Amino acid sequence: MSEAPAIRIEAATKLFRRQAPGRHFRTLKSALLEGSLVGRATEEETITALRDVSFEVARGEAFGIVGSNGSGKSTLLKLLAGILRPTRGRVLVDGRVAALIELGAGFHPEISGRENVFINGALLGLSRREIERRYEQIVDFSGLADFMEEPVKNYSSGMYVRLGFAVAIHTDPEILLVDEVLAVGDESFAHRCLRRIEELLAAGRTVLFVSHSLALVEGLCDRVAWLEGGTLRAVGEPRRVVDAYRQAVAEAESAEHQRSKEEREAAEAAPAEAAAPAEVLRWGSGAAEITAVRLLDEVGAERYHFASGEAVTIEISAVAREPLSDFVFGVAIATPRGVECWGTNTDLEGYEPGSFSGPATVRVRCPALRLGAGEYQLDVAVHARSGSPYDYRRKLVAFTITTPRAGVGVYAPEREWRFAGEVVWRRRPEP
Amino acid sequence: MLSILRELIARRGLLATLTARDLKARYRGSVLGFLWSLANPLLLLAVYTFVFGVVFRQRALTQPYSLFLLCGLFPWVWFATALTEGTVALVANSALLRRAVFPVELLPMVAVLANLLHFLLALPVLAVALLAGRLLGYPVGGWSALALPVVILLQLVMTGGLALGLAALHVHFKDVKDLLANLLALLFFLTPILYPLAAIELPALTYVVRVSPMTPFALGYQELLFHGRLPGPWLWAQMLGVAAVAWLAGAGLFARLRETLVEAA
Repeated sequence: MSEAPAIRIEAATKLFRRQAPGRHFRTLKSALLEGSLVGRATEEETITALRDVSFEVARGEAFGIVGSNGSGKSTLLKLLAGILRPTRGRVLVDGRVAALIELGAGFHPEISGRENVFINGALLGLSRREIERRYEQIVDFSGLADFMEEPVKNYSSGMYVRLGFAVAIHTDPEILLVDEVLAVGDESFAHRCLRRIEELLAAGRTVLFVSHSLALVEGLCDRVAWLEGGTLRAVGEPRRVVDAYRQAVAEAESAEHQRSKEEREAAEAAPAEAAAPAEVLRWGSGAAEITAVRLLDEVGAERYHFASGEAVTIEISAVAREPLSDFVFGVAIATPRGVECWGTNTDLEGYEPGSFSGPATVRVRCPALRLGAGEYQLDVAVHARSGSPYDYRRKLVAFTITTPRAGVGVYAPEREWRFAGEVVWRRRPEP
Repeated sequence: MLSILRELIARRGLLATLTARDLKARYRGSVLGFLWSLANPLLLLAVYTFVFGVVFRQRALTQPYSLFLLCGLFPWVWFATALTEGTVALVANSALLRRAVFPVELLPMVAVLANLLHFLLALPVLAVALLAGRLLGYPVGGWSALALPVVILLQLVMTGGLALGLAALHVHFKDVKDLLANLLALLFFLTPILYPLAAIELPALTYVVRVSPMTPFALGYQELLFHGRLPGPWLWAQMLGVAAVAWLAGAGLFARLRETLVEAA
């Protein structure tokens, strides 16, 4: 790139000082002597919000930032907006910035929407004449023409944000910083905002975009940065970075499932401590018992997070406390909200019981489990053919399914799109 | 310190807008509006006139007493309310500080300017009172009042400097607000507003009243408005000196702490 970047961050580190009671004098001393809150503070006295973050954003680029809560995204945007300054390192921003961070800051609840537009515009650096010129557009964009004379305290939170967004976006920014604000307005307003952002991009403006909506980030951004715990984990092509992030989230969830499963097993090992649960998760006569359930992947490794379409094996360890000749093994998958996705049992599948009289292992292998993306829970049971349960265990195992592309529902079939006739795509997904 | 002044002048449009916001919000929905800003000083005037003019019979050099009182009281109310509001300006607007990019020094100055406006709006009351005094044959007021803007400007610099410094300190020490409230109560009696400086007979005590930064200004207003003469060069020098020191110290402290204000507020 021959042109100077719109944004350049060089090894930016941001420390915050912990609020410690009784430490005011030390804080003030360091503020007075060093002009900084964290100057000589020790490691325990500070929180590192960002650590050695460096990247560049080219002019006209749509740049996304993803990461979990507390990963430093908002701190980063505030550094770029100039609200905060880095403790170490440099932040260079070349161009007029509009920061859509917590919109409507500076709105005074007691005075009218109209007057607040002028105050907010002035805060964002517009002169009175400039605001007057754009006033109609701002009101138009906000869709609040009927409410402009009302004091802002009577606005709903959505109206508040809409007006804030309308003012901010009409400051004609060269660099637009957007922090998760599209989540607040209603759908039609969100669309209007997105259209406006796309217009700005088309006009060669730079947009920095923080969102938890990964699909939106993938769709809108040219490049994406992934922040985790204040450090930059990856920067680059949206699909690659977002997928890496998804993968990390899924692994963390998988570990979570594993942990909760272990906790549950530990709790069952010590039944005295199990105070009456809100929901009954296990019932049955006890003639047979399910002792363990695991999910296994293609190579037999225990896992609780799978890509849709992967082979999954449900492994049930059970033991018969007395010899049984009437028994059925069943499994069922449901979402946490109780939507039944799939269920079956040995009886339905045509297995006629012979005898079951001791420890046994039952495996159901699905060569391609094509569930939609989301969380699922597994129920497992052993019961008589009449349905009378020996051991019925609800929500015994939780697992996560991910899909490369977002979709809706619990099912994700294999699919391909074909087009013929007068339909043209500006971009197609990469295979 | 000069950079703060430059910033304030460069963003005077925003300063005016924020000051207007402050005043509009304050009087929204109130019937008497800004007249309320007159109520408090006039009430004080009535009480002090009763206590000191009637009960204690304050006399020497100060007839009519309520006029004398008025000349020092209005500027004091500006000074005291500006500092009280200016001190909490940053903390009260911390949400704004963390979300919008703008020079933080505007906020304490908004408090000072909003209260300056109240003071200016009260001046007609003072003018009418002086005129009435004159018609009754007292030698109050006169052309010397034309020098009033200079004294007001100097008091603005002094109050602005102190408000900036106190606001920055208050961010780190929430005790500043309470400390200030008590200090102001004390300073009010140390400032020759209720009594003329000449009423202090012990020479050592005349130095004690110099503790109050408002003392030269109260004397200045009394010279211009009550006695109808220009302050002497020594008094001008004191006003200038106090204003300069207060600005340098207050704005200097603010500049020193500036980087820490947004995070700590």
